[in-house]
Amino acid sequence: MTTVETSATKPMRTPNDSPLKIWFLAPLAIWLTVFFLLPLIFLLWIGFWRVENFQSVPDFSLGNYADIFASFFSKSRYGLALIQSLWVAITTAFFATILSYMVALSIAFAVPARWQRLALLIAIAPFWSSYVLRLYSWQTILSRNGVINSVLKQFGLADYRIDLIYTQIATRIGLIHYLAPILIVILYVSILAIDRVLIEAARELGCTRWQAFTRVILPLSRFGLMTAASFAIIVSLGDALSGNLLGGGAGTSIIGKLPTYASMIMSDYSSSTNLPRTSALATILIVVMVLALAAGFVAADRARRRTS
Amino acid sequence: MTSAAPSPHDLELLSITKNFDSFTAVDSINLKVGRGEFVAIMGPSGCGKTTLLRILAGLETASSGQLYIRGKDVSDVPVNLRSTRLVWQNYALFPHLDVAGNIAFGLTLKAHDKAIVAGKVKAMADLVGLSDLMGRKISQLSGGQKQRVALARALVTEPDILLLDEPLSALDAHLRIRMQGELRRIQKQLGMAFIYVTHNQVEAFSMADRVVVMNKGHIEQIDAPEDMYARPKTEFVARFVGTNNLFPGRIQEIGHGKAIVHCAHGQVQVSTDDPPPVGTGVFVVVQADKLKPAPTGVAGENRLEATVRGREYAGSHNIYLLDLVDGTEVKMTLPQVLPLEINQPTTIWFSPAHAALIRGAA
Ligand SMILES: Nc1ncnc2c1ncn2[C@@H]1O[C@H](COP(=O)(O)OP(=O)(O)OP(=O)(O)O)[C@@H](O)[C@H]1O
Ligand SMILES: [Mg+2]
Repeated sequence: MTTVETSATKPMRTPNDSPLKIWFLAPLAIWLTVFFLLPLIFLLWIGFWRVENFQSVPDFSLGNYADIFASFFSKSRYGLALIQSLWVAITTAFFATILSYMVALSIAFAVPARWQRLALLIAIAPFWSSYVLRLYSWQTILSRNGVINSVLKQFGLADYRIDLIYTQIATRIGLIHYLAPILIVILYVSILAIDRVLIEAARELGCTRWQAFTRVILPLSRFGLMTAASFAIIVSLGDALSGNLLGGGAGTSIIGKLPTYASMIMSDYSSSTNLPRTSALATILIVVMVLALAAGFVAADRARRRTS
Repeated sequence: MTSAAPSPHDLELLSITKNFDSFTAVDSINLKVGRGEFVAIMGPSGCGKTTLLRILAGLETASSGQLYIRGKDVSDVPVNLRSTRLVWQNYALFPHLDVAGNIAFGLTLKAHDKAIVAGKVKAMADLVGLSDLMGRKISQLSGGQKQRVALARALVTEPDILLLDEPLSALDAHLRIRMQGELRRIQKQLGMAFIYVTHNQVEAFSMADRVVVMNKGHIEQIDAPEDMYARPKTEFVARFVGTNNLFPGRIQEIGHGKAIVHCAHGQVQVSTDDPPPVGTGVFVVVQADKLKPAPTGVAGENRLEATVRGREYAGSHNIYLLDLVDGTEVKMTLPQVLPLEINQPTTIWFSPAHAALIRGAA
């Protein structure tokens, strides 16, 4: 065995390397610190504070969490609301992603190249109006005496009146309408990145159009689909507006009438002066988001290994 | 098709033309490829070779003309149902699949027995020397390895006709010669017709039954390699194939199987059975290895005064670059080294029997 003197040898630096290169990380680092790390750390930290005489006092106490988890599935029903929110978020993300993928596919493959930008712009047009405005218009469409039911009545189908407003389905509709434009852009870009030659090659090797889709386009869209779905889950989990305006704050569900978890955090914030408790509630949501994402990625990775 | 007899041709192209807007990429191509024939296509970059292969594969629709594969008109047969298979010039491998997945791709599209597919894929990987790389991702392969995956992926499907677009261009000389041998063997063994596009003359001439030279979308000449080499029919082919010297001139006299051509640097005699009429503009074509230093002290025909301008040493032979009196540049290849200095005058010579005539000089 020969030992090499490593202490004396410096790592080789290519002439193209510059010690200043590290500074190009600065914009990313600043962005992450100011808009992500600091607020997050602050939130996590406050979750351990306690309240004394209606004043938040810095501390390291697990009291808030103990309080929350003590009644997690009983009185406060935070647990049930969280499960329901997860369920709504996952199903919303599922439908929103599939819907957006179909729109993105048709823009990328059915629209002539020079009209694609315009088609994309039109497809994401809903994004130009405000979210709250969109939710209110859905209210007028879905409500008991709203557009849909009026039309049904006109045709003498009053018996078939639908009761969508203030249900989880309405919550999902609002969320999907909100999410779709963003997902369409994400998915369109990821489809655009697929080399068309590969589709030709697949067809040339004997693929039907459908096989070219399942064997080449779909696997190569996987990353885009994962990104879109994760984005949709996170946004849906954190959203309280659609649940409040369309879900009626307590959308009917299999579990009963329950507000979404995000909406519970909101009301907790406005009805009590217990900011540390609210922070603890929010922290729980963040942990669930991270876990949901991790589970999603593991599942997608397993699926890929199995198919290839 | 009413006749029951199978067509003697694997492939028949009748004035196939392809226009991109106002640009004609493929210009009324007529070509018949016999059963199991190996046809090489050569031509400068952009002359329409890839476009022609794409038309055969069904990836491009010809603007006009007819295309028959084994006697059947395939104009209406979509790309995925054609019995051709293309080996892509830039590989077009699937990045989401590993080497084995890429090779197996075509076999897994219909109901299949996994064991049979695995066996075929393995045999093919052995053949192209990829057995050790089966689990590799495509992005982790070298250009030559990618090229072999592309080849294996097409070959393993055992098509009637294999269309190869410069399939060995990224391989080193040693591997290329071995793969050439393998391809030729497979082609013979399976009786598969090969349409083989290449920029490598040696490759085309040593592998193909017939060579097609294309230029600006049309075919200049179709011939067996030896004939193409010995008797180029157009100025373009003469300049493109081999190392030829072209002397533009005009027929001055004909008779007794000979023609005398008046060139800028003097008169030249050429043996020919079918001389063009007197006054026709022609090129006298002399291959570089048919030029010799003139024997001294003897008078004779086709002696050219020249000045040595340079020598290139190519291992087995020397390439001399000389200028004739009128400034025409000529190339002469010789096995030996001449006792000649640069810029020294000398006399070179060729036999009338070794020269050929091409019509067309102004
Ligand atoms: N889709 C297209 N639209 C317009 N022009 C095209 C198209 N495809 C090819 N061409 C043109 O047709 C001509 C022939 O192209 P092709 O790819 O067949 O050349 P090639 O002989 O294969 O060249 P190389 O040896 O460089 O591969 C080129 O001038 C090219 O610019
Ligand atoms: Mg080409």
